[in-house]
Amino acid sequence: MKKIILLYSLLFCFLIISCVQESYNQTVTVILDVSGIKDIKSVGVRGDSKPLSWDEDFEMKPLIKDSLYTTTFSGKTGYLFAEIKFVVNDEFELKDKDNRRVYFDKSRKTIYKATFNKND
Amino acid sequence: MKKLILKLIKPKDASWAMDIALAIPRIVYGYLLTAEFGSPKFGLPWSDPDKNLGLFEVAFWFPNEVAEYGGIFALMPAFLAWMAAFSEGVGGIAWILGFQTRIFSFLIFCTMLVVVFVHQIQYGYWNMLPGMGILWISAISMIAGSGRFGLDFLTSKWLSK
Repeated sequence: MKKIILLYSLLFCFLIISCVQESYNQTVTVILDVSGIKDIKSVGVRGDSKPLSWDEDFEMKPLIKDSLYTTTFSGKTGYLFAEIKFVVNDEFELKDKDNRRVYFDKSRKTIYKATFNKND
Repeated sequence: MKKLILKLIKPKDASWAMDIALAIPRIVYGYLLTAEFGSPKFGLPWSDPDKNLGLFEVAFWFPNEVAEYGGIFALMPAFLAWMAAFSEGVGGIAWILGFQTRIFSFLIFCTMLVVVFVHQIQYGYWNMLPGMGILWISAISMIAGSGRFGLDFLTSKWLSK
């Protein structure tokens, strides 16, 4: 009986020390090429990891107006990547296609370059 | 000690029909708990590799969510989050097998109380229903045990010899 109690105690200790998934701060800079699109009023990025959401744009600012837009966001994550899509004038890119996956760099600073509606 | 273990695992005597009626929802919800609800937030061999979860690790975001409930949840969010995720992930397997049914039913019962009356209540009664379904099954399983269709039945028979 003592063996059973010892076994359960060891099992519980093993389980409890496994505990919480390691997370770290990750900074992501996205650069989006929107050249060729006319009448650009707003450019944003949406995604599944905070501070992004699928409901509202995370605003992107022009590096070169009507051509290149960028933004930087950061947050704590335990995942290896974030799923995102870009939005221009409230219109999602890559309709009915998979989300983009931004794989995080080990340096914890990731730069992701993309062209609107083209998944390379 | 043997008496205590027997008391914990020995199922209540019931007819075959009653045992089948107990086992079906327990096994179905056991599967759903471990495969659908537990595995995204608790590291199990069948967790999605994209979640980057180690074995028996609770997802990084879950303790934060638990802490937001306030009160006792804010005092020990990591432990309570781990226990809740463990109840779903491992408790689901235990329910399928009918292993330590009463203990795991108690853990699942506590988890579902929080799910229903702390988390889902803000989204209205309709959203409380799935958690409530599991809550009732755990309450019944806590009293009845595994019935014939579980390891507890075989173990209690072996221990009674």
